[in-house]
Amino acid sequence: MNGRLTYATTDVDLLVTLRKPGRGYFLLVGFLIVLVGVGALAWMNQIRTGIGLAGKNSPVGWAMYITTFVYWVGIAHSGTLISAILFLVRVRWRAAVYRSAEAVTVFAVMTAGLFPFIHLGRVWVAHWILPIPNFGGLWPNFRSPLAWDVLAISTYFTVSGMFFMLGMLPDLAIARERFKGWRKKVYTLLSLGWQGSSGQWRHFTAAYLFLAALATPLVISVHSIVSWDFAMSIVPGWHSTIFAPYFVAGAIHSGLAMVVLLLIPLRRSFGLESYITMHHLESLAKFIIFTAMIVGSAYGIELFMAWYGGNRFEQSLFLYRAVGDYWWAFWLLMTTNILAPMLFWVKKIRTNIPALVTICIFVEVGMWLERFIIIVTSLAHDYLPSAWGLYRPTLTDSAIVVGSFAWFFLLFLLFIKLLPSVSMWEVKEQLPAPTQKEAAA
Amino acid sequence: MGSEGAAAGTHTEGGGSVKTAQPSAFAVFSSLEGTVECIKLLRESGYTSLEVFSPVPDHALRDAMPEKESPVKAFTLSGAILGFCIGWGITLGPLGNFSLHVGGKPLESIPPFAVVAYICTILFGAIATVMGFALSVRLPSTRLVVGYDPRITCDHYGIHVPCEPDEVGRVMTLMKMCGADTIREIAKG
Repeated sequence: MNGRLTYATTDVDLLVTLRKPGRGYFLLVGFLIVLVGVGALAWMNQIRTGIGLAGKNSPVGWAMYITTFVYWVGIAHSGTLISAILFLVRVRWRAAVYRSAEAVTVFAVMTAGLFPFIHLGRVWVAHWILPIPNFGGLWPNFRSPLAWDVLAISTYFTVSGMFFMLGMLPDLAIARERFKGWRKKVYTLLSLGWQGSSGQWRHFTAAYLFLAALATPLVISVHSIVSWDFAMSIVPGWHSTIFAPYFVAGAIHSGLAMVVLLLIPLRRSFGLESYITMHHLESLAKFIIFTAMIVGSAYGIELFMAWYGGNRFEQSLFLYRAVGDYWWAFWLLMTTNILAPMLFWVKKIRTNIPALVTICIFVEVGMWLERFIIIVTSLAHDYLPSAWGLYRPTLTDSAIVVGSFAWFFLLFLLFIKLLPSVSMWEVKEQLPAPTQKEAAA
Repeated sequence: MGSEGAAAGTHTEGGGSVKTAQPSAFAVFSSLEGTVECIKLLRESGYTSLEVFSPVPDHALRDAMPEKESPVKAFTLSGAILGFCIGWGITLGPLGNFSLHVGGKPLESIPPFAVVAYICTILFGAIATVMGFALSVRLPSTRLVVGYDPRITCDHYGIHVPCEPDEVGRVMTLMKMCGADTIREIAKG
């Protein structure tokens, strides 16, 4: 961070994001609301007409919805990695970027959480999965990874949400003192009476540390559990012990790319280059190289095990992925997920904004396609050739998926205008405390 | 630097007047070293029940004013233990009523139930942590401490010293000696 920054300039500079938005912001919000509306209409039509409107079929019973669900859960992971894990290991550069990353987590889980309901078809009986005593003579089957998934995702949302709001308390108190009118009332309410007393800080730092410690295993466990939705079955291409670490690495890979994609316009739009510096973006790019290499190794191990394991169903499936009906998606994901991030080894590329944006978009496309390939090809090409089939997206499921992206970006746009998107108190912690000399000056 | 006289138990930000049980003095400092110096001086003079306000948590302040460890960890541990028990309870408990074999797995399937217990341990541990924090600092609160200065959230520090009525003047003198920007006397009532 820039050496000229002080506690006072930090507040002024970082609260600029909360100022009255311009015309461009409203146009973008309006556009996203239209897309969300189209997605919502498509879902309503699907509920009224039937799940057949989505392209899923027999044998491909899990398709775009579950692909997009896994994708959004994955996106959620980088937030907790940056906010909790990097906090525990005292990485200083996280201070300026973690709030946005946490927002990505919360909004991505909110978006992911919609898809099991959309996928269910009969959404009005969704509560059957919940452990409600004496309800309809049913009790969830806790031996099923699907039941674990419900618990894991709802726990992740609850813990991430609490961590997000707790870390924001001191900043909401700053906003309370700087604004007037309705904003002051809202921030007064949200800051819960925070005033920065020694007692409050003592309990706050303890609670923050313990929440970080509790959130950290969730980064590993949530996507492991999501991967077990597949790995616990006997479908070729799914029944694999490597799935949990493979999914976790992929999740962090896509999540980091999403954080970069959101931070770049944020720093540019509000002139936050002194706070979200090239060093932050470069550090994230280096992280992406690391996750790309883990994901690349996982792809290699999967292919090797299919060949070396000698199971002909596995061999047939992996050959199908590479040269079958969805070959283009397979090779595109290999290129965008592994080869493209390798360009970040070159300093000139990882410190170049257009290159960063382009490669991170590639990673997002690649990670969505990775889930698509895992889910669709395994179901389309399992044990019996007579049961093989194809999946093609329809207008309904495409509109819902596009609507989910619009929903996520809409939430993020609302967040940056309503809540402090860079943690002021943690940025201040990185700066020298006010001295008598400065005060006299 | 200057004294602003008595602020009789009212606060502008929190909404509504606050009754104070004891008169006190509230000083606002623009530097960390002045604040630390004042804390040391006040403690040496026998004023140990003071409260310090700062924009960020700071080691220098913590060293100057050692405090007991936060009880939040006890809440975290209790919540986690409760969650662990709930996790096993909701999986093993109802087996007698729902004895349905699924997927050829035994009714008492320990590995999958351990996953549920693990998730519940984290969930309840986290909820208890936040509850413990809220209870420890008595949040949410609609009122700020009497005399609280909004500059504290930005780049100033505050020291609040409750004391006997005849000692307020002495406390304010000590605060002034350490270079306080603003000193307020908070009257009882």
